[in-house]
Amino acid sequence: MTEEVVATAGEGAMEVKPLSPWADTWRRLKKNKLALIGLVIIVIFLLVGGVQEIANLLGPQNASETATAAQRPWWQRGYLAPYDPNGGDFHAGPAGPINPPSMKHLLGTDYLGRDVLSRALVATRISLLVGIIAVGIALAIGLSLGPISGYYGGAVDSVVMRMADIFFAFPYILFVLLIMTVLGPGFRNVFIAIGILSWAGYARLNRGSVLSVKQVEYIEAARAQGASDLRIIFRHVLPNTMAPIYVAIAMGIGGAILTESALSYLGIGMRPPDASWGSMITDYQTYFFAGQWWMLTFPSVALVVTVFGFISFGNGLRDATDPKLKE
Amino acid sequence: MLTYIVRRLFQLIVVIFGVTIITFVIMFLIPGDPAQLLAGKSPTPGKIALIRSELGLDKPLYVQYTRFVNRLAHGDFGTSYQTDRPVSAMLRENIPYTAQLALAAVLLELIGIPLGIYSALRQYTFWDSAYTTTALIVWGIPVFVMGLFLQWLFGLKLNLLPVTGAGDLAFGIFPNSWDSFLHLILPAIAIGLVEVAYISYMQRAAMLEVIRSDYIRTARAKGLSERQVVFKHAFKNAVIPVMTIAGIDLGALMGGAIITEAVFSRPGVGQMIYSSIGARDLPVVAAGVIFSTFVYVIANLIVDLSYAWVDPRIRLEE
Amino acid sequence: MDELLLDVQDLSTHFMTHAGVVKAVNGVSFTLHRNETVGIVGESGSGKTVAALSLLRLVPDPPGKIVEGKILLKGRDLREVSNEEIRAVRGNDIAMIFQDPMTSLNPVFKVGMQIAEAIMLHQDKSRRDAWRIAAELLAKVGIPDAESRVNQYPFEFSGGMRQRAMIAMAISCNPDILIADEPTTALDVTIQAQIIDVVREMQAQYNSGVILITHDLGVVAEIADKVMVMYGGRTVEYGPIDEIFYNPHHPYTWGLLGSLPRLDLVEKERLTPIKGQPPDLLMLPPGCPFSGRCGYERPDECPLTMPDTEIVGPEHGVRCWIPNDERVSARSALPRFVARSK
Repeated sequence: MTEEVVATAGEGAMEVKPLSPWADTWRRLKKNKLALIGLVIIVIFLLVGGVQEIANLLGPQNASETATAAQRPWWQRGYLAPYDPNGGDFHAGPAGPINPPSMKHLLGTDYLGRDVLSRALVATRISLLVGIIAVGIALAIGLSLGPISGYYGGAVDSVVMRMADIFFAFPYILFVLLIMTVLGPGFRNVFIAIGILSWAGYARLNRGSVLSVKQVEYIEAARAQGASDLRIIFRHVLPNTMAPIYVAIAMGIGGAILTESALSYLGIGMRPPDASWGSMITDYQTYFFAGQWWMLTFPSVALVVTVFGFISFGNGLRDATDPKLKE
Repeated sequence: MLTYIVRRLFQLIVVIFGVTIITFVIMFLIPGDPAQLLAGKSPTPGKIALIRSELGLDKPLYVQYTRFVNRLAHGDFGTSYQTDRPVSAMLRENIPYTAQLALAAVLLELIGIPLGIYSALRQYTFWDSAYTTTALIVWGIPVFVMGLFLQWLFGLKLNLLPVTGAGDLAFGIFPNSWDSFLHLILPAIAIGLVEVAYISYMQRAAMLEVIRSDYIRTARAKGLSERQVVFKHAFKNAVIPVMTIAGIDLGALMGGAIITEAVFSRPGVGQMIYSSIGARDLPVVAAGVIFSTFVYVIANLIVDLSYAWVDPRIRLEE
Repeated sequence: MDELLLDVQDLSTHFMTHAGVVKAVNGVSFTLHRNETVGIVGESGSGKTVAALSLLRLVPDPPGKIVEGKILLKGRDLREVSNEEIRAVRGNDIAMIFQDPMTSLNPVFKVGMQIAEAIMLHQDKSRRDAWRIAAELLAKVGIPDAESRVNQYPFEFSGGMRQRAMIAMAISCNPDILIADEPTTALDVTIQAQIIDVVREMQAQYNSGVILITHDLGVVAEIADKVMVMYGGRTVEYGPIDEIFYNPHHPYTWGLLGSLPRLDLVEKERLTPIKGQPPDLLMLPPGCPFSGRCGYERPDECPLTMPDTEIVGPEHGVRCWIPNDERVSARSALPRFVARSK
């Protein structure tokens, strides 16, 4: 009784201006320039990667067999770039196949006379796919096991969390290597392997949030109304524990892109001639040391900038949603 | 503390058990015929039959698994079909180089702690925003891009440092000469710099949280100098969470070592794995992966125990 | 009257934020004598905590800054002294007890060390002596088994015990002034009374002046001699405790009293919460911060200029535009004051 009254008198009687959580997050995110830059990078990345994926889906399958990719109309090429990313041209410029950036080839051409810009653009799709598929798989596993584990506790919790410990204990790039050695190279396998091996982080994160939300009044209320456990978990608990998950998604996509590029660099991601940023870097490194810097530099810059975008935005989002940092 | 150690050791056993199971599944269940895969690219029927009986592939799964673990426990990782040598011998040769590199990278990583603290104490200054931006950019640079850049800058352009190979070792893992030390610098920086950026960013965040906490205000209200407040009251609280992060990050460091060894053509476990992937030399890759995981798990245990020792809340827990 | 310890004149502390200047404390004045207890009352955001932190220059800078006023500790202006000198004042002349005992002690150091540290800092005592004194202090504030308790960590203490430890730490250097910032808010009701008793005992023993910051007029009624009511960074009313309780002149004070439960009334009455929202410190009107929530407002004056202090009783001042007689009649129309015609 007394406490309630105290509350009315002093602290909380007057409602604070209602600001929806998203509006509040956005208001705080806006102040963080690095996070905004990150967001812009992410949007550009999604657009470029998305356009390439759409072009790939429309694809060359209904195109006439005789025409080369460059001769088809753009919607049948399977890519959206100034030149065929895999089409070599030994007379790309005055110096033969290898040419520094020029008006004709903005980022230059490689040792087969392929347009570096076109290859880098098309490779964006691979990074986009690895980000979405790998994180999607990890989320699907993590966000089913995490809440269930946190909500039920007890034996269920122990089993799931020990499993998470095991998966968390892998330096997972190594296990991806092992799987790739068994399965052989191929980039779809890379996506799936990364996804399956990285769910534990999401599960743990979400379990912690669920534990803290579980006892809150509105959950009690839902239970009192006779809602089923599953409904409570996925309708009431999960949506209220998502803020740290969104941060983890941003960081996770950045991490998956990094992992894929490392695997491609080691030669077990993309198979030639298709390009990913990592495989381009490994492909061009000898030319880089021979002074033909442009081939390697641009995919490297694309990779670093993209990963920076996700990390920077993820960090900004964490700061913006962290109640401890509220002014 | 005792309860904590026991619980942690139990966890370790569970994890190692899980790791062996998953490795077993990857090696023996995913491929159609593991004997064929393990026998290499051009197996003779005799060799396949030999491997099959050796591994007991006709036996029930749990027998196969028990044998698998038993062999691991005895340090028997099989034979490389590329070199026909026992994998355990290859592992023994390569471990010191990787250990040297990893240790150097960890030492470098520690620089992140003072950098992060300094940055946090200078919040709202130009220095802090410049450093934070740099750290965020460096954090996202892949190890191989960093390695290539360092090779280009310090090897090709400035001609200051060797860019490939490794020098000889003394006392297990230490460089035995100045030249050997120079060989270590660039690879260590390639892995370490990214980790420095990451750790310092985390340390900065932890310090910012601590410095705003009530007990720091209490310490100030007591009349302590800013130096005492920061180095006595804030430091311990801010470093404790970063220790765990650094422990988990060792995994990234192991992955980074493989790639770095590939970039710098440096001998080591990573190089050993790398040169075996293309040939699908499964026994070698598996041995490298199991060994690295083992090191990672043990290192994490040590980090956790020292963490518990520093934090009274865990140390005195019943 | 006892020695004048603290004379705060026209203190203003502002926060320079991205969104604008937050005037957390705006021209606050009060005095504190030895053996006296001043209660500073107001809801959260009224500036009472910032005012207390300003006394010790503990407001985080940036973004906070004391922009005006004098803080005279026995005649010496604490705004003017060097950083070293203010550190010698902190914990030694003026000590502070904070609101949340759960988070105000450092989790990784022993309780004894956290008390002994202050003693070693301000007094010429060896480590061994300081620890012995720490144990004695813990016993003095009512912690049983103090000898072994000094060697424990804060997480091994209950909330009430931690607050006792905070008090032990605060009195360790025999300070002239003890500032208690919501010392009981985070505690159970039964513990609250005990803690207030400890504060009172320690005050009697050390002849300190106490500044008690709270939103709870009930706590103030138990312990304070004088009350200062703050709203939106300003003092709206001050006076001796009886004057504030029996002759309140500011509508905000009425509001606070109206929301306080009372057992002495025969008739059951409804508690009346104060309507409206606490003020947005970024957009305070140039005039009275309570205008807009007041209910007796004069639109031509209230929001535009802050009225001067009007003396309405012995040592009793109020800042309000409503003429005195109108205030009295408005007050007597309130249900609570009808029942209490003296």
